[in-house]
Amino acid sequence: MDEQTDEALMARIAGGDRAAFDLLAQRHAGAVVRLAAHILRNRADAEDVAQDAMLRVWTNAPRWKPVAKFRTWLTRIVVNLCLDRKRRAQWLPLDNAGDVADPKPDAAVRLETDEDERQLAAAITDLPVRQRAAIALTYGEGLSNAQTAEILDSSVSAVETLLSRAKASLRRALDGA
Amino acid sequence: MTDDRIEKVLHAHFTRDAADDTSAARVMAKLQGALPPQKRSWFRSLPELLLDWQFAPAWPRMAALAGCAALGLIAGSAGIDRFVPLKHSARSDVTQFLFEPEPLTGLRP
Repeated sequence: MDEQTDEALMARIAGGDRAAFDLLAQRHAGAVVRLAAHILRNRADAEDVAQDAMLRVWTNAPRWKPVAKFRTWLTRIVVNLCLDRKRRAQWLPLDNAGDVADPKPDAAVRLETDEDERQLAAAITDLPVRQRAAIALTYGEGLSNAQTAEILDSSVSAVETLLSRAKASLRRALDGA
Repeated sequence: MTDDRIEKVLHAHFTRDAADDTSAARVMAKLQGALPPQKRSWFRSLPELLLDWQFAPAWPRMAALAGCAALGLIAGSAGIDRFVPLKHSARSDVTQFLFEPEPLTGLRP
């Protein structure tokens, strides 16, 4: 049963099959959390986004048409949720902010012994969110520029610009450190 | 820092982390509860709706409908409706005066 394609599972989910949904969620939850964590730089937010994304898969399954690969559709949902969350977070009143977020990377990243890695994590956190998304999709998900452009609803040249600027910023940060 | 070095550290940075599995397990635990209702398109579910429809006729209702139709045909062809006296003619209709426009202003009440 585990060897069923994502598209076949989606067809079953469209019919309200809970077991198929659990299987699909199990298959993609790790990748979804990882991508969201790379974009948001906050694991708790990333888990919220992952849960929200999987629930959207469930609710929208009957309307889903297999014109594109399921993974591309899911990645697009995750990236849009992350971008929405970052956009909304800028306008929240101070009272809703709760505890002050630690600007440093996650604990797991802080424990990295490699100095380059630690500096890179900090530099990625400082990147604008769309540049971070482009970097995460290209290096984290291994997507081509065309696929990244499709997910970010942008052009290939715009993605190339995002990546180029991101890498220039990272290089400056690492050289200046 | 060279381009190769940047590429190398980026690839190293985005490798799979053990924390991702822990987070994924937490997400899966949250998803174990009741799921929200699915969004279904009415148009797409139309074939299912029609296939489930019970088209077998209810014979008592069919007989009642046929009886009414026969009665209407007999009444119409015999001209019974022409002999029914009308109690109120259109001339005695008071509503005509009520809803007549004002002669000078042309306004309706």
